[in-house]
Amino acid sequence: MTSKWEKFQQRSFLESNARTRAIGLVDSGSFTELAGPRHRITSPHLPLLGEAVEFDDGIVTGVGMIGKKPVFVASQEGRFIGGSVGEVHGAKLVNIVHLARKSYDKLLTANPDLPEEKRPAVIISFETGGVRLHEANAGLLAHAELMDQFQDCKGKVPIISLIGSRVGCFGGMGFVAAATDVIIMSQFGRLGLTGPEVIEEEMGKDEFDASDRALVYRTTGGRHKYIMGDCNILVEDTITAFRQALQEVLVKPYVEIATMGCIGSLKKVQSQLKLVDLCARVSPKDAKDIWKIAGNDNPDALTDMPLDVFLQTVKHLTNSDQGE
Amino acid sequence: MSKQLHELIFELKAENPTDFPVDFSHFGVVGSGDMEVIIEQKALAGAVRIKIVSPVTGYDEVWRRVLERFVNETGIANASLEINDNNATPVVVSLRLRQALSEIV
Amino acid sequence: MKKTRQWDTRKTDYLERMSGAAPYISQGKVVIAENCVNVLEAVIRPFDRVNIEGNNQKQADFLAESLIKCNTQRIHDLHMVQSAVPLPVHLDMFEIGIAKKLDFAYGGPMGGRVAEAIKTGKLELGAIHTYLELFARYFIDLTPRISLVCAYEGDADGNLYTGFNTEDTPVIVEATKFSQGIVIAQVNKLVDKVTRVDIPGEWVDVVIESPKPFFVEPLFTRDPANITDTQVLMAMMAIKGIYGEYGVKRLNHGVGFNTAAIELILPTYGEELGLKGKICTEFALNPHPTLIPAIESGWVESIYSFGGELGMQKYCEARGDIFSLGPDGTMRSNRAFSQTAGHYACDMFIGGTLQIDKYGNSSTATATRVAGFGGAPNMGCDAKGRRHPSDAWLKCGEEFTTQGKYLGSMPRGKKLVVQMLESFGEKMVPGFVDELDAWQLAQNANLALPPVMIYADDLTHILTEEGIAFIHKCENLEERMAAIRGVAGFTEVGLAAKPVETKALRDKGIIKTPEDLGIDRDRANRSLLAAKNVKELVDWSDGLYDPPDRFRNW
Repeated sequence: MTSKWEKFQQRSFLESNARTRAIGLVDSGSFTELAGPRHRITSPHLPLLGEAVEFDDGIVTGVGMIGKKPVFVASQEGRFIGGSVGEVHGAKLVNIVHLARKSYDKLLTANPDLPEEKRPAVIISFETGGVRLHEANAGLLAHAELMDQFQDCKGKVPIISLIGSRVGCFGGMGFVAAATDVIIMSQFGRLGLTGPEVIEEEMGKDEFDASDRALVYRTTGGRHKYIMGDCNILVEDTITAFRQALQEVLVKPYVEIATMGCIGSLKKVQSQLKLVDLCARVSPKDAKDIWKIAGNDNPDALTDMPLDVFLQTVKHLTNSDQGE
Repeated sequence: MSKQLHELIFELKAENPTDFPVDFSHFGVVGSGDMEVIIEQKALAGAVRIKIVSPVTGYDEVWRRVLERFVNETGIANASLEINDNNATPVVVSLRLRQALSEIV
Repeated sequence: MKKTRQWDTRKTDYLERMSGAAPYISQGKVVIAENCVNVLEAVIRPFDRVNIEGNNQKQADFLAESLIKCNTQRIHDLHMVQSAVPLPVHLDMFEIGIAKKLDFAYGGPMGGRVAEAIKTGKLELGAIHTYLELFARYFIDLTPRISLVCAYEGDADGNLYTGFNTEDTPVIVEATKFSQGIVIAQVNKLVDKVTRVDIPGEWVDVVIESPKPFFVEPLFTRDPANITDTQVLMAMMAIKGIYGEYGVKRLNHGVGFNTAAIELILPTYGEELGLKGKICTEFALNPHPTLIPAIESGWVESIYSFGGELGMQKYCEARGDIFSLGPDGTMRSNRAFSQTAGHYACDMFIGGTLQIDKYGNSSTATATRVAGFGGAPNMGCDAKGRRHPSDAWLKCGEEFTTQGKYLGSMPRGKKLVVQMLESFGEKMVPGFVDELDAWQLAQNANLALPPVMIYADDLTHILTEEGIAFIHKCENLEERMAAIRGVAGFTEVGLAAKPVETKALRDKGIIKTPEDLGIDRDRANRSLLAAKNVKELVDWSDGLYDPPDRFRNW
């Protein structure tokens, strides 16, 4: 008789709601939800706009275990107003990270020699379009507060992003995710800043046709992000695949985890700036132009090839590609 | 001229009541055309109290019929239900309520 | 003394018109794109009956854009006879006076503009038809004088390759050419030798290579990611309560998510029920991507298509035992033949609808959109001319209680015609109504009759989330109306149902709920789908299915 947790493991990550992801990513039966539906902390603003509310305001937060490690979990629900960040949603997200850091401080004060395998980590399953426009100020504030929390976590608590849900990770949350230590994605995940419809609206259909989903995924999807180096690990679309990748990351020494992000050192920033130079020099018309520069002779084949073949054969964009 | 969410409250009693077995349960996501529900034990002399919060109004009778059928078919008793609705059709409501109960098994 | 009458005026008229076009034609039948307007102005006369390929899927868009550039002093008041008017340019022609009258079958996205044009007097509506009906009239009283068609390839002799998305072209060209009409074709590419001769050069007068490929829409692709749990429940009911019950082997699926869900649970739920080989073996159907898992799992023996479907070409070519392929190895389709197959050679039509009235008349017409019905009326009706038996047809005929009304004791079969809908549509719009919106449309657009897609006397089964109503089993109109109320859920129509009546109908087997069918509602969810998204369809097809860009989410 398979438990609910066991059933979740084989589920499509893309199809799974926020709660399923939160429960399934940590060890079986270890997840405790905090500030969940039971507490009914709904948005104080949405009713005034005649908009439906949700008891968890579109985010599941809580604590679980992965091995001996306490893991502080945030999992966004894309089906509730696009997973957008409102006041309560934002506060929950900020506070779960804050709680992780406070736990670190408490644990290390009690035992300064606490082995790494028992030190807390934060995992965030992003599924969001960014700021909830109905609660714009609160949403924006939450973004700032979250970045602040990330800073406090530096040197202490690793923060890992998991992106593989329908809405993707866009808006301000795009740069929030980019500020975490590790990003794990599936090919169905998307990571970006401005959403495709907004790009089309601002720049015109000739510049970016939002209905051309293939284009959208070439620009912000998991495979492209993996080639670009914006995502560290690309996995199959199951909860267990994400969980396994997570486990592999969490056993690494924190010193190593801290080097895996896109930013955080002068060298990394310089690397990012080189990308800007590359773009200016090459004026790519499509992501495939960059894939070719990265050393992939047949960029057209990269989208459809099975994931395992892709991972074996694909060439990342490296520092040397960016040239001088 | 501010809007609001509409509240509907029903108190129903099943023909063959069975006490709701757990303290607290929750099911669903408030997506467009969908709903979530909290079901908690509550001593109501065999009755069920259901509160619906919805941006849409004018379907009181439809809600009543859907909920009456649900209560009679399942026999749910001594329970309090709180629903956050987002324009779910009766099909979806019936489905989610039943799914909420089967999660408890 | 016998007055002499000219008996070859069609021919002389043809020669006269073509002589006007002659200066622009070179190398056999070729006209360069720049001269297209000149040629059209030379061969078309005011008040002509003109067909333009306005198919369901492919469009002779370059020719349409050229026609609208013609001088309205020279070309005006045309009578357009075409299957569909889905492009804005099709309606623009009426706005500027190039066209005046319209006979068609499907308006799709332009339905609103059709209604508007009728109201303002810019468009005089001949009639709405179903495709095969319109094709029939091409040979009797709606014969085009000029037909503007499109093809993938053409050569200097006029041979055309219409390829995997052939659709209406053969029937249009034959009707036009054999009444001495003029056929002008736009082709994607002028070649030395066409891949396959689908239309012989003799039947074509002008070939023009268009600046860009003709427009084609992937109308039959449904993303499995959008299928809901309710649609899965209804699909389970359809398979167990109807397909399996009657042994439906030969059928057509009206396009939509409801039927896509059925296609996707054949390899899972259908397999569980042990129905492989007993149902869904032969289809009159376009190449639905959602049918790929069932095909790969060995359910389907053959499919004849109305047209192609963007992205499915390679898959179809690699499945020659299932789809129609020419000797050259590429797919062949034909709407006239497939519609005929859907009418006579299929035992069931099943599709969705927007509204059903309390009597069982079904329509997708709304008060302000003349959308037309495409092929549904032709396939969704009893084929009274049919004489050959099949198990499903005989069983349905036996159950049809009012069969004997005018037949006396003579037995007869009946085609299954099934309509699927949820009692409430999106945003709580009721699917069951007292009076169809079609009545209002008839008034607004000056139509002779309210446009009905499927009439109540052809309808045999209604399937909602509440259950299946076997309305052909009812004794009389009153009982039919009670059966409809019994599955109409909590709509006003459904609220008028008397529980006692509904129970009696269940006892008689006229209404069957999921429980009556032994279907576990808890299993009715997306996990039953053999493919849950477009990528999985691609995987099922071993990479042969190449989805259009709008469906790619990886």
